[in-house]
Amino acid sequence: MSEIVLETDKLNKSFKLGGREVHALSNVSLQVKRGEFVSIMGPSGSGKTTLLNMLGCLDRPTQGVVAIDGVDITKVPEKKLFEIRRNKVGFIFQNFNLLPYLNAIENVELPLESIGKSKEERRTRAQELLKTVGLSGREDHRPNRLSAGEQQRVAIARALANNPAIVLADEPTGNLDQKTGLEIVRLLGRLCVDQGTTIVMVTHDSRMASETGRILALSDGKLLVKEKEGHLMTDKATKCSACGRELPDDAEFCPRCGKKL
Amino acid sequence: MGVFTRALRNISRKKLRTLLVVIALGFSMAIMVSIPSGILANQTSTEQLIGNFDTTITNLEAEINKTLTLVECSISSGFTEQRGPSGGFQPPGGFDPGNMPGLMTRSVTYLNESTITDIVAIEGVKDIVAIIEKTEGTNQTIQTPRGTFQILVPDYTIVGVPLNSSLIDNYAFLPTNIVEGRNLLEGDSMVVLLSLNNTEYFGVGVGGSVDILGASFTVIGIYEPSDSQEATNLYMSLTDAQTITDLSGKLSRLEVYAVDQSHVDVIVNQIEQLYPEFTLTTYETRLAQLERQQEMYATTLENAQATLSQTQTVAYQEIGIAVVATSLIVLFIMLYTVRERTHEIGIFKAIGFSNGNIMSQFMLEGILMSVIAGVVGVAIGVIAAPLLSSLLLPSATRFTSNSPGMNSPGIGTNLLGIPFTSAMTASLNPQLIFLAFGAMVLLGALGSLYPAWRASRTSPMEALKYE
Repeated sequence: MSEIVLETDKLNKSFKLGGREVHALSNVSLQVKRGEFVSIMGPSGSGKTTLLNMLGCLDRPTQGVVAIDGVDITKVPEKKLFEIRRNKVGFIFQNFNLLPYLNAIENVELPLESIGKSKEERRTRAQELLKTVGLSGREDHRPNRLSAGEQQRVAIARALANNPAIVLADEPTGNLDQKTGLEIVRLLGRLCVDQGTTIVMVTHDSRMASETGRILALSDGKLLVKEKEGHLMTDKATKCSACGRELPDDAEFCPRCGKKL
Repeated sequence: MGVFTRALRNISRKKLRTLLVVIALGFSMAIMVSIPSGILANQTSTEQLIGNFDTTITNLEAEINKTLTLVECSISSGFTEQRGPSGGFQPPGGFDPGNMPGLMTRSVTYLNESTITDIVAIEGVKDIVAIIEKTEGTNQTIQTPRGTFQILVPDYTIVGVPLNSSLIDNYAFLPTNIVEGRNLLEGDSMVVLLSLNNTEYFGVGVGGSVDILGASFTVIGIYEPSDSQEATNLYMSLTDAQTITDLSGKLSRLEVYAVDQSHVDVIVNQIEQLYPEFTLTTYETRLAQLERQQEMYATTLENAQATLSQTQTVAYQEIGIAVVATSLIVLFIMLYTVRERTHEIGIFKAIGFSNGNIMSQFMLEGILMSVIAGVVGVAIGVIAAPLLSSLLLPSATRFTSNSPGMNSPGIGTNLLGIPFTSAMTASLNPQLIFLAFGAMVLLGALGSLYPAWRASRTSPMEALKYE
């Protein structure tokens, strides 16, 4: 099995806005290793969500390659993309996106239904996952009876249901308070360590990003720097003069505000 | 949680909307069930009518053939005016009796039995059936713009007929529909054949004894009358009837049968010469009457068929409207549902549901709603089918009242034998319910098809952005 689970090469996305061509992503090339926890940072409109949509087969690039587990998804016909989403990708959203009329365990079972698992298999796997995210005993609660943090835990369990090659999290702490957000990010980190899950998380919160193994910074659709592996905060030495973020010695720009150093 | 349970939950989530849609669809379904059952009822009714007409026409033809050799002799009866101080009717108030019509009483004139001897001697006469009739009842006085009339409300009519087996066998002057006991036979004396109405009036059954004008008769049989005129007739031997009515040697009418049709005119001429006071009715006049009746039946039949065809046209239009309405209701509701749940579609797609999965989810919801509506529709149909069909279909009773034949006494109800309106009652049959239910589910599927297809084609990224 290849070490690289996710790879993009010269990824471009442009679209027309008011008769003007806007480049949402320009030549983005990156690699994510199996079991890695990577965060993508950048200001609003920098192209973070656009990139995540490309990685999760929700959108098509204008140019370039996106490969998940060695499969170039840009060459997969539109009608077959659901198979990639079903088998290779798990999504975690900022607003949780749980179905309100299903309880916690039924929400987790949903992806398993799409791959044709039996009722018993679905139930066992979903219970196991809810236990992993710390929600044992809350299986029968509908989303409106769960706290925001609990809802996000259900969403995480659902994203992991099909053992995806990669989990894409779009601002998973955006609707949570700092403490709960940190708990969620640490839960994701633990999943990487314990279960070897590969997670790519989009965030604009440096505190959350600092919990990840690697931070990628996007600005105006361009990937500005690839930081070194390992915890960002372990080698902290300087602070960004613009926003005060703590930065490693060899940082060339601030991942929060994009200021060049 | 399977797709079916999810569909059920989605339907039950919007209770008020589902309720309204189900009621609307249910009524469409009820219309789809009720109208065909109304048509079927119309059809059955018309077929019954046609059947009865056919029977009546056949009977009439038989009667025409039978009466080809008949000359009926009687003396006209009618109302005569009684005036003057000696027992005349005096109207109340201060009117001048000279300017007011007097009391009109019915006078009945009988033939002398001795005329038989003269008539039987006429060449070509084969048989003579002598009949006496006398009605017993209560006199009532009624005032009309044309005068004051004394009419007899009959309790019963004594009909005396010759109990000669050859005559009984050849000429149908006795009732045929015996429901209890037996008919009169040659040699019967002091026995009587009662109608069902008579048995009620006298309160007596077969074998019982009944007092008629002071004489005691044994009830030999009971018959069911074929029309209202016959309803009060009780039959006995001619001699008995003449005796108890004090009309010995008198007759009400003579039915003179010629050996063949060619002798009828000669016989008529001879009788007219012998007895100019007689009113003679021959087959020609009978034939003309019967042909007029046939024409009336034909007109009534045409009206019935025209009404049925008109009813069917209206029914097809209404079913068409119900079908289109059902499809449109499902279409718009499902389009609205898809739009409302766009974000949810995005979630389904993001977690790996295929276009087919999404389509079947929405199709199933549409079909399920139609199934529920179908059940409600059947319930409404079962309860309200007669009402709905009578409201939505043109009244099939119209032609019965518009057609001249139907208004004629003795034809509208008696000869037809069926009260047409009662046959109009629409009733549901299982086949019809099954068909309409199938149609409802099919329409639900068709109505959901486009919205479900649209849902399946939604871009996941756009859908997730939709709030």
